[in-house]
Formats: sequence, structure tokens, C-alpha cells
Amino acid sequence: MQAARKRLLDTLSHRTPDRIPIDFGGSAVTGVHVSCVAALRDHFGLERRPVMVHEPYQMLGLIEDDLRVAMGLDVTGVFPRKTMFGFANTLWREWDFRGLTVLVSNEFRTTVEPSGDILIYPEGDLSAPPSGRMPLGSAFFDTIVRQPEIVENELNAEDNCEEFSLIEDEDLAHFKSSAETAQASGCGVLATFGGTAFGDIALVPAPFLKNPKGIRDIAEWYMSTASRQDYVHKIFERQCEVGIANLARIHAAIGDAVDAVFLCGTDFGTQTSQFCSVKTLRNLWFPYYKAVNDWVHANTTWKCFKHSCGSVEKFLETFIEAGFDIINPVQCSAAGMDPKSLKSKYGDRLVFWGGGVDTQKTLPFGTPEQVRGEVLGRCEVFGTGGGFVFDSIHNIQAGTPVENIVAMLNAVHEFNGVTIYA
Amino acid sequence: MPDLQKLYDAVLEGDQKTAVAVTQEALAAGCAPMELITKYMVPAMDEVGRRFECEEYFVPELLLSARAMKGSLVLLRPLLAESGVQPAGRVAIGTVKGDLHDIGKNLVASLLEGGGFEVIDLGADVAPEKFISAVKERGANIVALSALLTVTMPAMRTTIDALKQAGVRDQVKVMVGGAPVTPQFATEIGADGYSDNASAAVGLARSFVRPE
Repeated sequence: MQAARKRLLDTLSHRTPDRIPIDFGGSAVTGVHVSCVAALRDHFGLERRPVMVHEPYQMLGLIEDDLRVAMGLDVTGVFPRKTMFGFANTLWREWDFRGLTVLVSNEFRTTVEPSGDILIYPEGDLSAPPSGRMPLGSAFFDTIVRQPEIVENELNAEDNCEEFSLIEDEDLAHFKSSAETAQASGCGVLATFGGTAFGDIALVPAPFLKNPKGIRDIAEWYMSTASRQDYVHKIFERQCEVGIANLARIHAAIGDAVDAVFLCGTDFGTQTSQFCSVKTLRNLWFPYYKAVNDWVHANTTWKCFKHSCGSVEKFLETFIEAGFDIINPVQCSAAGMDPKSLKSKYGDRLVFWGGGVDTQKTLPFGTPEQVRGEVLGRCEVFGTGGGFVFDSIHNIQAGTPVENIVAMLNAVHEFNGVTIYA
Repeated sequence: MPDLQKLYDAVLEGDQKTAVAVTQEALAAGCAPMELITKYMVPAMDEVGRRFECEEYFVPELLLSARAMKGSLVLLRPLLAESGVQPAGRVAIGTVKGDLHDIGKNLVASLLEGGGFEVIDLGADVAPEKFISAVKERGANIVALSALLTVTMPAMRTTIDALKQAGVRDQVKVMVGGAPVTPQFATEIGADGYSDNASAAVGLARSFVRPE
């Protein structure tokens, strides 16, 4: 039997591994909602203790070593020092998350509105305007758009570049220590360093900044990708330059301790279409993607991981040409994303990291038997010849029955022919 | 008299500045507001919808055209109200309780407006009571519900049930949409229709108000 890291490396090199590697919790796009992590800990009879919310925006729970072993996972993550709300995960403390006791950073500072909505503050600064809101009835934060008035002829791309700067020594030390811990686990390592997500709509409103300037409204940003392309190019040029400089610094600090790097989470797909044409993708994004990926390939052994939800089959050739090695989350329910067709057209050039089960329908609302059937089918299609890391299609969402998550894991283990637990 | 084709072109090309300027010139020259809408703006938005469906246009272009159209409508709407012109229908639209995602909802609202509907945009995170009020007090005859999250999809059912309990369900057609929503789910919760994109949502709304 192979060790987990070797299993992942074989998979990423399109060699057939001894079994399909599994990732849950390796990144903020392959994660598990904290409530589900707590339910899984209970299911597996692990020590009862509050789960750490290591990514507060999507309320993702940290999968610790004991749960990773119980779930039979092969991948672990390296995460940035600071969260989406601009504070570091330090000095954990208990927090009552609507009845579930969880652990949050001491800088995770919130207030509750009379409506029951929870507001969260950038850098944990209660004197700043809040940058996230979790409505009553939801289980995640959404960014609060803080858009200064736009005066067209006064727009300055520098205003949209405040978040792109050389990382601090403290961040480098954090990456070094996290990479060492991850490597010591024996798992394959997926790292998120940040800074190269060109136009990721989750990051545009800059929930981590106290006073964001430039174009920060979501609709305004989308329109800018069509009507202000020169402005967007200027942002991407600066971001690319700083991003590569940071990757070089990080690589000098950690070397090849990580196996794959989650470089960009910009979503290009909707359920039925794309957010732009292939022509716009090639004009506006491709040069920067290629520059970053070329640098990674020329200087490291890391594999380049691209996340995009939705219907993106038409973009996959361009992603491959730009140097991406891995596509996630492989939203098979979207138009044109048929598993068999994807595998036959791109399977020898792209690793599918995801696509294991639908998190919009089957996993939250199906029966365990339906989950099993879908998982076995996806493993059959995507697993042939390597190039498949099992993961659900994006994070496991709040409200997903733990029986279905367990049915999903059991099905992968069944396909893999292994017994992880009784 | 200004060249009104420029209004059509400005909406189609998402040029708000020109759309507003041509509208102002046309009104100053005595053009009827309804004519500007029905002969130039609605056809332009129909063409936007067509281009979106055949993937010549994408979300950014849709947003730009909707903004251009809205710029003109701000000038025209008060005049229409004065003249007593009736809209194609009156739609109360919102993202359901617990859900703050409004891009899809905003696109549907804009295209409905461009399609000649009066739109009562209730925003995001909308409680069922607000939809009921829009029906009772503002005469909405279509309720359009949006959700992006699996955890907020059940609020669509709650909203429809609340419309029933308030005794207004029979007065309205309910249409639903959003990434995780399916035609099956729409049927299960008792909606009258489902659309998987903003352009098709206009066709669906038109089918609700078309005389039988």
C-alpha cells in the first residue's frame, strides 16, 4: 500500500495510484462546514471538543489528524496566516454559533443585529464598518459591499491594488512551519498562498480591508470586465508582478514541501453558461495565468490548481494552455460538464480534483443509497488511469446529513477496495 | 427629432450615457414615453436576451444593458404613471429569507423591467411577509423567488406556504430560480414555474400574463 503523499503525487502525474486519493479540508474550496465536521467527529466517536473555524467566511471547520485518519483522507492543507476577514487565527476561544460551540480566533469579532443577523469586522476591528453578514437562517457569511462613489475619470487602478503587496516575514514563517507540519503528516499537501486569484469575485469586495477603495461592488466589477478592461489589466499586471515575487519568496522558504498550489478561485461558470467569452478569457486573464504558471513550472515541482465553479468546459483548453494542471470543483451538474466527456477529452492533461458528488442536490438532499450510486459512478469514470482526486463538488455545505457524508466516504473506500473503519 | 435608433443601440451596447441623453432629447421633442419603451427599449432588451441565450452576451453585458435601460426608465417611469399606462404585469421579486445573493435576482428584475413589467424589488434576505404585503398592498400578480444556497432553498417553500396561509396564493403566479433550484424542486414546493436563466425568466413571466 502506498503512503498518502505518493498516492497524490502519482495521481497528479497521471500515473495510476494504488487507490483514488481523497481530499476534504485541504483548501477553502474542498472544505467542510464546521457543523458537518462536528457531526463527523461525533459519528466516528472521536474526542468531543469544539471544532476550530479556521476559515470564517464560509465557516469551514478544521479537519484535525484524528478525523482525517477516521475519514481515510490523503490530503492536508497549508493555509494563509490571515483569514478572509483579515485577522490571523490566533488564541482560539469558544463561540456559540447558533447553538453549536465552536472555536474561533480571538480576533473573530462580531455583533448581532436585532434581526438576528451576525456582523463580522475586518481585522477584528469593531470600530471599522463590518465587512461580512450572516443572516438569520444562513450558515455562512457574505461580504458587505463597501463601494465608494465611482467617478469614472478619477478611477485609479492603484486603489484596487491595496491588497497586493510583498508578504511579511511573519507570513513566510507561518508558511514554513505549516508546510513542515503538513509534510510530517505523510499526506499529500495542497497549499494556498493567496495573491494570484485574478478577479475572484469573493475577494473583490475585500472583506479583509477596513476601507477598500476602487471598484469593490460585485456587479460593478463584472461590468468592468467588459467595459473597463484597461483598468482591469492594470490591476492584474500589478497583482501578477507581486504574486510571482511572493511565490519566489515562499518557495525559497519552503522548497518543494507542498505538492499542489491553489492559485486562483475565480469562478467563470454559471449553471448554464460562462461569465465571459473564451475571447475575453484569453485577452484578460490568460497572460497573467500563463506568467504565474510558467514561473511555478520553471522553478518548483508544484502543480497548479485552478478552481472555477459552473459550466467551464469551453475554457478547459485555455486553462491547460495557460499551464494549469488541476481543475476543481468539476461541477458535473452544469451545462457541458458530463463526466465521461470531460475525462475522455481532457483526462490525460488535467487532473480532476472534485466532481465526486453533487453538493447542490445528491449530497444534501439524496438518500445514502443515491449518494453511494453517484460516488461509485464518478470514481469509475474519473478514476481510470489516475488524474482524479476524490472530493465533492465544492465544500460540504451546512445541513448536509452526516449519514450521506459517511455514505460518500464508504463508497469511495468501497471503490478503492479498502476498509478504513468498521 | 433625435435618431431613436440610437436609443435601441445604446441599450443593446450598454451605453447608459447615450441612452439617457437620447431619451432626454426624445422627450423634449415630444415623443411618447410608451413609444420609446415599446418600439426601442423592449426590442433592444429582447435582443440582449437573445444574444445572452446564444452566448454572444454574458453577465457583464447583461448588466451593462440593464443599467442603460434603467437610466432611461428613471426618466420615463414618472411620465408613464401620470398617463395611467398599465405594465405587462407587476412582479414582486426577492432573494428569500436567509440568502443575501442578489446578482441573479437583479438580472431577472432588470430584464423583466426591460420586458415591460413593473418590478417591485424587495431586495435580498426577504421575509415571506414582505412578499405577502407586495401582493396585498401593491397588487403584484407575479412573485419571483431566488436562492443561491442549498440551506436557503427551503425558504422558497416557506414563502409559498405563507402566501397560501395569507389567502393570496391564488392571486399570483410564483416563479423560482437560482443555482441549486431545479424544475423538480419547483414542482415539489408548488411553484408555477422555473427558469434557469434571466432571459428565459422574462418569457416565463410573459406566459403568466398572456391572455388565454
